[in-house]
Amino acid sequence: MSIIRKTLVLLGLSLCSTLVRGQAATVLYQERVVELQEVLPDATDLWVKPEDLTRINDFELKPQGACFEEICIPVLQDRDSDMYITRQDQGWFNVTELADKLQQAYVVDYQEGVWAFGEMPVKRQSFLRGGQAPDFELPDRDGNLVSLSDFRGKKVLLLTWASW
Amino acid sequence: MPVWQVIYDELKDQNFEIISVAQDTGGEADAGPIFDDANVTYTSIIDVNHHISALYNLVNVPSGVWIDEQGNIARINEGTYAKEHFDGAFGTNDYVPIVRDWVSKGADSQYVWDRDKVRDSIFERTPEAERAQPAFQLGSWYFRQENDAKAEQYWSLAQELDPSSWNYLRQDLQYEEGGSAGPEWQQRREQIESAGGSYYAPLEIEEN
Repeated sequence: MSIIRKTLVLLGLSLCSTLVRGQAATVLYQERVVELQEVLPDATDLWVKPEDLTRINDFELKPQGACFEEICIPVLQDRDSDMYITRQDQGWFNVTELADKLQQAYVVDYQEGVWAFGEMPVKRQSFLRGGQAPDFELPDRDGNLVSLSDFRGKKVLLLTWASW
Repeated sequence: MPVWQVIYDELKDQNFEIISVAQDTGGEADAGPIFDDANVTYTSIIDVNHHISALYNLVNVPSGVWIDEQGNIARINEGTYAKEHFDGAFGTNDYVPIVRDWVSKGADSQYVWDRDKVRDSIFERTPEAERAQPAFQLGSWYFRQENDAKAEQYWSLAQELDPSSWNYLRQDLQYEEGGSAGPEWQQRREQIESAGGSYYAPLEIEEN
């Protein structure tokens, strides 16, 4: 996004946020379907409350930035920026800006307010460069969550197939 | 699948697990009966969003990945049937013996790849193809909402973004006239094969 466009977006937000109440959104990430009661209306980006950020992707907003395990992306919180703004004492975090910084792919249906996020490249380097098997958490047919790491100490043959 | 159950019964007491993951947006209704008919006792997952394919850069089924006791990949991205089907039309009887060898010898098995070979064998995705997974997931979400128009819109987008994925194409074709193995699929497959390519990820078993 160009600086001019970003300025316009921020300006747009400051104009409309006093007039328009937040709207709902749905976020899909891994196996999660996260329903958000309120996001900031915006033509391009997904702005959420800091606590919703954690529900979406486990990142946590800390004084030093948005953090997950050893990853921390700096976020200014004492003034408005592309990543974080404050409106009427409510802070809003820009999830799509974080995704852009992390080169995380996403696709959105603006009409319905549904956002789907792909895997984060930072979490995939040990796979792509080091040949480590990516862990996952998926329900088995009985509904129990299964992770690859449950089988550490065993050899695992992972097989994909399909009925179609 | 019944063949994998026989292999599993033979090897399961040697610190060995099979995780079988159906890439089926239709869920239990589509994949469940196939697991049931084979009386499967190994770990069975129905992956409606095709996450495992996205995570391991797999574009077709069946595909196999070997993962050792420490969570390192020992082989990846191979078209892996348990046996030969229809007089060699597809599949091979040569894969199961190398699985057996690996389970008994571990890292000493000659069929275990080194890290470079593993890295080189991981299918490479373009930046556009990285967007295909969220597009497909969005389509699958609409599919479950029974919003067929939106499902079709995002499944088509996924196929445009990642034309290398047979899974995205055939999952979609399942719900179209002609089905997942109909004329469109046949034509695309013949194009690849007549150009000297391989429909299934190649399975190259090292000589003894």
